[in-house]
Amino acid sequence: MTATLVGMGAHDRRADKDADFSAYMSARQTALYRTAYLLAGDHATAEDLLQNAFAKLYLSWDRVRDREALDGYVRRIMVNENNSLWRRAWKRREHSTDTLPETGSVDTYDDGMGGVLWSFVQTLPPKQRSVIVLRYYEQLSEAEIAETLGISVGTVKSQASRALAGLRARAPRSLDPHGPHHDESGDAR
Amino acid sequence: MNNTPLEDQVHDALRRTADPLHRTPFTVGDVRTRARRIQRRRAAVAAGAVAAVLAVAVPIGAAMVGPAQRSEVPPATQTPAPRLTGPILVDPRSAEVVESTSVPLLDVDGARLLTQEGTVDLPRAYDSLTPYLDGWVAVANEEGTLTLEVLDDDLRVVGDPVPTGGLVVSTDGQQVAWTEYADGRWQVVRAPVAGGTEPDTTPLAPGPEGAPVRPVGFLSATEVVVDRFDEAGEVTTYVVGDGAADELPGLLQATSSSAATGTLAGLTSTDLASGCSGVVDGRGQAGTRTWETCDHTLDSFSPDGRHIVGFAPDSDGYGSPTVSILDADTGEAVVDFEVAGSRRQVAAFHDRVGWDGDDTAVLTLLTGDERFVVRLGVDGSVQRVGGATSIDSSGLVVAEVR
Repeated sequence: MTATLVGMGAHDRRADKDADFSAYMSARQTALYRTAYLLAGDHATAEDLLQNAFAKLYLSWDRVRDREALDGYVRRIMVNENNSLWRRAWKRREHSTDTLPETGSVDTYDDGMGGVLWSFVQTLPPKQRSVIVLRYYEQLSEAEIAETLGISVGTVKSQASRALAGLRARAPRSLDPHGPHHDESGDAR
Repeated sequence: MNNTPLEDQVHDALRRTADPLHRTPFTVGDVRTRARRIQRRRAAVAAGAVAAVLAVAVPIGAAMVGPAQRSEVPPATQTPAPRLTGPILVDPRSAEVVESTSVPLLDVDGARLLTQEGTVDLPRAYDSLTPYLDGWVAVANEEGTLTLEVLDDDLRVVGDPVPTGGLVVSTDGQQVAWTEYADGRWQVVRAPVAGGTEPDTTPLAPGPEGAPVRPVGFLSATEVVVDRFDEAGEVTTYVVGDGAADELPGLLQATSSSAATGTLAGLTSTDLASGCSGVVDGRGQAGTRTWETCDHTLDSFSPDGRHIVGFAPDSDGYGSPTVSILDADTGEAVVDFEVAGSRRQVAAFHDRVGWDGDDTAVLTLLTGDERFVVRLGVDGSVQRVGGATSIDSSGLVVAEVR
């Protein structure tokens, strides 16, 4: 069937769709941009992620029956895009040349900025970083993260565990009083 | 000393980073524009530089089996395969396992080419790689920017890399074609893989490097189909041969071609909510449409040109939940496959297809966080390729020849 169906009905549906979508964008763009930024680590990529996710949502708008699930749909697309193969490869190369913060010289966290930990989060592999952002910023449950990422709850747990271990390994001692830096005598390892 | 648990500190750090951001960079118009581009890209998965995982590779050396080896039986004597009713669930975990496929595979996480003859460690990751002269010609992809490199038999780069839109290889593996940008214009280069004669170079009208020309495939032994993108994203399809480039109407954008039948497949229409694809005759200059479908996004033709792969038109970022093998003459589905998976898992075919002979498509698929390579037959058969493994979690991508 290749007939062209361009009538008032289609036009009205398009207008309704645009109005609904516009309302959703207005309500959620700021919040979802923050998630995009935490996933991407820079504004250009964050904008790219979010615009791409909004565009795919727009294309799928009529098929997304559960309006409560829209944020999850957008998050899933952003995470997937950010983790996509070449973007990941590029990030890996980028990080291989990064100079990581000197943990010994930045041994304070209570500076009111959280910048040190954020810089460490940025060095995590994308999947681990996604789990960290969804868990500790979006505060999703492990099951919700599993659904968003399309992986098992067990994988979410293992990714989160690895991510936190990675952060502990890099973080200054004072950032993790309960981490493995300390033995019974309180000596740093 | 901070006595707050690390998890809470991470939460605080993320909040302090993100909460001050009050950005709303897009309008609905911006999003609609992006959506339009996505629609086109979905229908042209072969051409999109954004689809950077795309890779083209052909066997190493003349002794190897081609990735799209044709049968010796002329298509005209074959009867169409009967339509198989209902989608066939593809569960790679329970599928019959075969050791290998003749379709070369590229390891996404490692710079390696895997073939039935062995593994080749590459100097870097390439999108496209094919034997050329005594060495190779390859396309590297850096965030969507493609460059063409010629490598010697020790995999050392010979000469300077040049901007390219990609490369394609003829079905018989005897010819390679690519586009390159030089002196203010794009040109199409066609060359015998084994050398012996000078490459045939056809310059196109001058244009910016940022408006690329991407090869789609061979239309005959001497003709190459290319898509030329303008800076507004509009696409014009050309048939390049005998030193001339002739515009071919009929498609908004070509995605594949068949030298066996002289036909092209591509996008025919898009209205954001849906996209339609079709097949046109490439042997005339009118671009006469043979058939059209709004149920599938068309991908590569089988080597004999009798079949063509169709994905779901609404594939998302993970890929397509279904794949169909269509009769290339009529557009009728011969067999439909659906990837098995729970509702809570991602389950999708990657939009990459190779052909293992005329009747078996080779694809990668994702279920949950596992990736598999499968062979899907026109007869409905499903096999998992068990012998090829990647060095990391990103899996392998099917190498293909269009």
